Amino acid sequence: MRRIIINTLKRAGYADVTEASDGKDALAKLKVDKFNFVITDWNMPEMDGLTFVTNIRKTPEYKDLPILMVTTRSVKDDIIEAMKAGVNNYIVKPFTPETLKEKIESTLQGK
Amino acid sequence: MSQQQTTALDIHSELKELTVSIQEMVKSFRHLQSPIEESRMRVPEATSQLEKITKQTEEATHRVLDMVEEITNDAADMVQDLKVLRKALPATYFKNRSKVRDTFERIQLKAERGQDRAFAIMDALQFQDITSQQMDHAAHLLDEVETKLHSVMGLFTPGEGEKSDYVLVHKKRVYDPNASFNVSPEAQSDVDSLVSSLKNGDDEDD
Repeated sequence: MRRIIINTLKRAGYADVTEASDGKDALAKLKVDKFNFVITDWNMPEMDGLTFVTNIRKTPEYKDLPILMVTTRSVKDDIIEAMKAGVNNYIVKPFTPETLKEKIESTLQGK
Repeated sequence: MSQQQTTALDIHSELKELTVSIQEMVKSFRHLQSPIEESRMRVPEATSQLEKITKQTEEATHRVLDMVEEITNDAADMVQDLKVLRKALPATYFKNRSKVRDTFERIQLKAERGQDRAFAIMDALQFQDITSQQMDHAAHLLDEVETKLHSVMGLFTPGEGEKSDYVLVHKKRVYDPNASFNVSPEAQSDVDSLVSSLKNGDDEDD
């Protein structure tokens, strides 16, 4: 799935993309480099997306970092939980490239 | 024969019947033990088969992705090469509806169409992420069945769980139990409506 998202991002003009295998790996990368957008899945090994997002929001530097969740979880309670954890926008899989692009743009605009 | 002796004989007869019934029941349970044991041994086989399917599907998906990436890169190179060639050729070649111009446009259109189709294949490959979660869910259910059968086996032979070589080892599985390949646009628009209402501070219990 990561490969498909990266290809879709490149197609949409976002060439500078860093990938991580799970939440733990992503948190480590966030400590080393500066990022201006995060796309995360919910179901990941080691550290799931929800814990990852909660951890990001605990970091003062990243409290306003735009976060987009791309997941198969479409149950209402899950979406509410993700939004409460600090997710800015939410996409259900399978998604279209147009949806991904549109959600990135609207999230960046704070919509 | 005294009343007491008659009663004792009755009790003896009842107890004898009860013993026979219990022996029959034990025998029946013993008959059950073997198929249950067999089922318990076969569950890991089924789980392993599911894991094999997931692994092979993932490998195949990556191979398809490799090829799709090559196709899209080649198509992009073709479009770029056409632009370079067009610049290198005299402008008169492309005046009006010349044959050269038409051919250039046709090749470019086909290269772009090929690229779009390859991207569409890439998007469709999202199915693998979803089916692997469905497989993980099925494997998790089998893990539960195996655990239950293991407990039942423990009832037949108390202490068997601790003594036997049979060790229950289940992988940690990360999946969405409701994962489905739903391509209807309504799926996303329903999510958008909910996200929007949550952002607007609407009551989440509505």
